[in-house]
Amino acid sequence: MKTLNVRKSLAIVSAAALLVGATALAIPTAGAAAAAPTCKTDVKTNVETCTGALSNGAVYEIRVPHANFHGSMYFWAHGFRPTYAYPGYTPPNGKTVEELTPFSANTGKNITSQMLASGRAVAAFDRKTNGGYNWNAAESIPLMKELVDIAKAKYASSLKKVIIYGSSGAGPLITGFNETYPGVADASGMMAGATNVSAALRTGCDLFYLLSVFADPNIKGCAAFGAAKGVNGHMLALQQLGLAGAVLTAWSKNLGAPALEYPAAIKPYGIPQRSALLLIGLLGGLPTKSSHMDGITTNTVIAEQSINSTVAILENFQDALGTATFTGQSIGEITGAGFYDNTKTDFSSLLTDEDAARFNLGLSGDDGINLMLGALKAAPRITGTPASVANYANLYQPTYASTTPMVLLSNEADRLVLVGNAVQYNDRAQAAYQARLDKWNAQTGVKKGAKPQPNTLSIYAITPETYTKYTAAGLPDLAGAPAVSGVGHQSFTVKQSMTWVALMEISAYAGRVPSATVAQKYLAKTPYLSSDLDFRPGELKYEK
Amino acid sequence: MKIRASLTRRVIGRATTVTAGIAISALALSALPANAANDPGVTDSEIVLGMQLPQTGPASPGYNKVDDAMRAYFDYVNSKGGVYGRKIRLEVKDDTYKTGLTITTASSLINKEKVFAFIGSVGTQTHLSVVKDINRRGIPDLFVNSGYSGLYTTPSKYPTTFGGLGTYVSEAKILGKYMKATFTTEKIGILYQTDDFGRNTVAGLATAGYTFEARKTAATFVAGTQAGGLDAQMTQLKDNNVDVVVVGAVASAYAAAVASANKIGYKPKKWVVISVGSDATTFQTILYTKGIPLASSAALLAGTITSSHAPAPSDATDEFVIAFKKINTDFNKGPDKNWDNNVLQGMNIAYQMTELLVNVGKTGVTRKNVISYLEKNGSSITSAGFAPLGYSATSHVAYTGFWVGAYDATTALKPVGATRQMWTTDSDAGPVTELTWTRPAIGADSLPKGFSAK
Repeated sequence: MKTLNVRKSLAIVSAAALLVGATALAIPTAGAAAAAPTCKTDVKTNVETCTGALSNGAVYEIRVPHANFHGSMYFWAHGFRPTYAYPGYTPPNGKTVEELTPFSANTGKNITSQMLASGRAVAAFDRKTNGGYNWNAAESIPLMKELVDIAKAKYASSLKKVIIYGSSGAGPLITGFNETYPGVADASGMMAGATNVSAALRTGCDLFYLLSVFADPNIKGCAAFGAAKGVNGHMLALQQLGLAGAVLTAWSKNLGAPALEYPAAIKPYGIPQRSALLLIGLLGGLPTKSSHMDGITTNTVIAEQSINSTVAILENFQDALGTATFTGQSIGEITGAGFYDNTKTDFSSLLTDEDAARFNLGLSGDDGINLMLGALKAAPRITGTPASVANYANLYQPTYASTTPMVLLSNEADRLVLVGNAVQYNDRAQAAYQARLDKWNAQTGVKKGAKPQPNTLSIYAITPETYTKYTAAGLPDLAGAPAVSGVGHQSFTVKQSMTWVALMEISAYAGRVPSATVAQKYLAKTPYLSSDLDFRPGELKYEK
Repeated sequence: MKIRASLTRRVIGRATTVTAGIAISALALSALPANAANDPGVTDSEIVLGMQLPQTGPASPGYNKVDDAMRAYFDYVNSKGGVYGRKIRLEVKDDTYKTGLTITTASSLINKEKVFAFIGSVGTQTHLSVVKDINRRGIPDLFVNSGYSGLYTTPSKYPTTFGGLGTYVSEAKILGKYMKATFTTEKIGILYQTDDFGRNTVAGLATAGYTFEARKTAATFVAGTQAGGLDAQMTQLKDNNVDVVVVGAVASAYAAAVASANKIGYKPKKWVVISVGSDATTFQTILYTKGIPLASSAALLAGTITSSHAPAPSDATDEFVIAFKKINTDFNKGPDKNWDNNVLQGMNIAYQMTELLVNVGKTGVTRKNVISYLEKNGSSITSAGFAPLGYSATSHVAYTGFWVGAYDATTALKPVGATRQMWTTDSDAGPVTELTWTRPAIGADSLPKGFSAK
C-alpha cells in the first residue's frame, strides 16, 4: 500500500448517498394542479417529448416512442444529491430533469435510447428546491403521483402499465410510494437502493468511531453531525470527513505496516495499521472487493489474499465515509444532534467467526484480533442525546405490506449503499409474502381474497473472478479501469440495466415477480448478472 | 437477521395470465422441470457431489490426491452399477486454498454443477468462508477434511456440516495424555498458528494439563507467514530449553519449523504433531521444493509423534488398506496415484458416502433425509477408522478416537507401543479413556453392506 492514495475527500460526493426525508412518511397534500404538459413529436423518430412543471414548480419530462410503444411507462427517481454547492459540484436547481433514466457512473451513459428503442416510455421529474433534505420521500411521493396522473391523463388509451423505479437514496420514495398509493404502480424497482437508511448510517457512524479509537481521537464523526444546520453545518461535517480521510491517507502509505499508535494500550504490540483497517472494514461490513481489488489475487507485494481485501477496503472506505457524512448531516438536521449512541454496541459480535478465520492473516492472527477487540471494548463510547436517538429510531422503514412487485438490482461490491440493503429488504419482503401466503392458506372453506403472489426479486451484478492488475513495481494499479461489473455505485452495464427493466415489465404484466425459471433465463443471458436467486453477497450489521 | 427466504422454493409456481408478448414467453419458460420433486443433483441415473480443495498452489501437496482417490472409489462403485442404479459423479473445484476463490468455486458447484451435496472439502479457513452459505441453503456438507471443532460441535450453527476427521481438540487431548505418561521430566513447548487450528490444539492440551508461557514456551505465528521461515520461533523455543515441541499447525509450517530448527542447530528431543501437520507426503514434498532430498526429509520426519484415527497406509495387513490399495491401482486416474495417507482418506470418505447413500434407500436421497439419517444413525456408518463416528443431533464430530504413533525411517507410522491402542475423548473437557470398540469388517467386494445396484 506504499503509494496508494485515497481519493480526494470531496470527490466522492458526486456519487449518490443516502437520505431519508422524514421521521415518518407524512405525505403532504399536493399543491395546486399542475398545468398540462407541452408536447412535441420528433418527426424523424416519432418520439413525443412532453415537459411541464408539477404543482410545486418541479420540472418533469415524459418521452413516448409512438412507433413501437407497447404500453409500459417507467417513472424514474434518481438518488440523493448533496444540499450545498462546493468546488466542482452544483446542486440541482429544478430547472432541468437531471436523469430521465438510470445513469451508470462507470459508463457515463443512461439507457434512455435503449428504453425508447424497445418501445418503453420514460418519465422523470426533478426537485425544485436544492439539495439533500429537500430530496426526501415526504416531498417526492406526491410529486411522483402527480407525474403519474399527468401521464395517465395524457396517454389514457395507450398507457397500460406504470412502473416506478429509482436508485440509491430514492429507495424510501419507491417503497413509500407503493405503501401510500397501493395499486398505482404495476411494478417497481430499486437500483442500488437504500432500503434501511438508519441501519446503514449506524454502520457509517461506527466507521468514524472506530477510526477515532484506532487512529485519531479528534474524530467526532456522527457525534458532530446535525449540531449546526445549513451551510455551516455542512462544512463542519466535511471537517470530520477530512479528519478521517487524513487517517486513511496516512494508513495507505508504507503498505500500512507501521504499528498502531492508538489506543495506547495496544501500542506496544506492534499491530500494523492495515490490520486495524481490515478489522474496521469487516466490522462495518464494507465490501472486501473494490473497483480494482478482487480479494483473491496475490503477488510479492500483496502477499496474501486478505491483504488484497485490505486494499479493497481502503479503496471503498472513503466513499463509505462520504455517504455517512452527507447522510449523517442531513439526518442530524432532522433528528437533532446526538442521534448516534454506541454505548450498548458489542463490536466483537460484529466480527463473524467466518471473517475472523478467512482474514486471519490480515488481522494479525487471533492474537491481533483479540488485542484490537479488547482495546475496543475498553475504549470510551459515544453517548447520544436521548431525544435525537429516539427520533433516529423512528426513521422511516418499509412496512413490506405492499404487494406491488419489486425488482432490486445491486452490485455485489457497492461501496456507497452496501449490498446488505438489498439482501435485508429481500429477506423481509419474502418473509412478509410468506406470512400473507400462510394466512391465506390457513383459511378454511372457500378462501377469501386473491392468493398472494411472490412480489420481490433481488438480482445482483457480480465481479469477474479476478481482475486486480499490478504496476511494474508490483503495486496494485488503482488508477486503471475498474472491474467491468459488480463494483461501484449505480454502475451497471446497459445490458444489465435493460434486463432489470425487462424483469420489472414482466412483473407489471403478471402481477408478480417472474418465476425462478423465467428470471434465470434472463439473468443467464446477461453478462455478470448472477443467476443464483439465493445469492447473499453481504449483510447489514444492524436491523435498524 | 434470521429471516431467510429461498426464492427458488417460494417463487416457483405458474405464471399468471399476462398480456404482453414478452410475458407470454415468460409463461412458457416457467414450466417446472420433469424431476422437480428431486433435490438438485439427483436423478434416476446419477448423483452429483461437489468438492473443493487446493489442487494447485503452495497448499496443494498431499491434499491434491484426496479428490482423485475419492473419484477412484466412486468409479469403482459405478463399475458395479452405482448405488441403486445411480452413478456417482464427483465435481471438483480447485480453490488453491484462497478463500476468495473458495467462494466462487462453491457458487459454481451450487449453481452450475447443481451438486446434491458437498463432500470431503479440504481446508479450515477456506471452508469457513463458505460454510455459512452452504448451510443456509440446506446443502449437506459432508465428511469435511478439517479437524476444527467449531465446525461440528454446535450443530445449530452449522446444521448441515459433518466432519471427516476427528477434531484437533480431541487429538490434542489424546496426544497430551501420551505426553504426560511419556515425557515426565522434559520441558514441553508448543508452536502453533494463531487461528482456529492452533486455538483447538492449545485447548486440547490444556485439558491434559499443559499450559504454556507466551514468548517462552509458546511460540506462535500467523498462518500464511511460515513460508518465510520460523527461525525466530525455533530460536525462542531453543533459548527456553524446550525438549519436546508440540506443533499445532499445518504441514507446511511443520516443515518450515523443522527446516528452521535444523538451520539454527536446534534438535528437540521430540516433535509431537497434530496429524494434519505431519502428513508424510505433504511434509516431504514441501521440503523437497526447498531442496531437501526425500531421503533427508524422511530422516527429519523419523521419530515424529502423531496420531491417527485410521490404519497407517503402510499397514499391509489391514483389510481396508488392502481393498483400497487395489481400487486405487485399478481406478485412480489422477496424476499421482502413489498410495499414501491422503489416498486412504479419500477412499475412506468415498466409502462412507456410498454407505450413506445405500442406507438412506433408493427413494430416500434427499438433502433433508441425508442430514436426518446422519444425526440419527450416522454413528453406525462404517469405515476404515478404528473409532466410531460421533454423529448425533448434538454433535457432528466425526472420529471420536485416535491411536498414537511415531514415524519410522521409511515414513511409516507405527504405534508407539507394541500394539495399536485406541483412545477416545470428546472435544470438550471430558476424560481420555481407552476405546474398546471393534471396527466392523469391510463389506463384500469392498462395497458397503447392503449395497445394491438396483
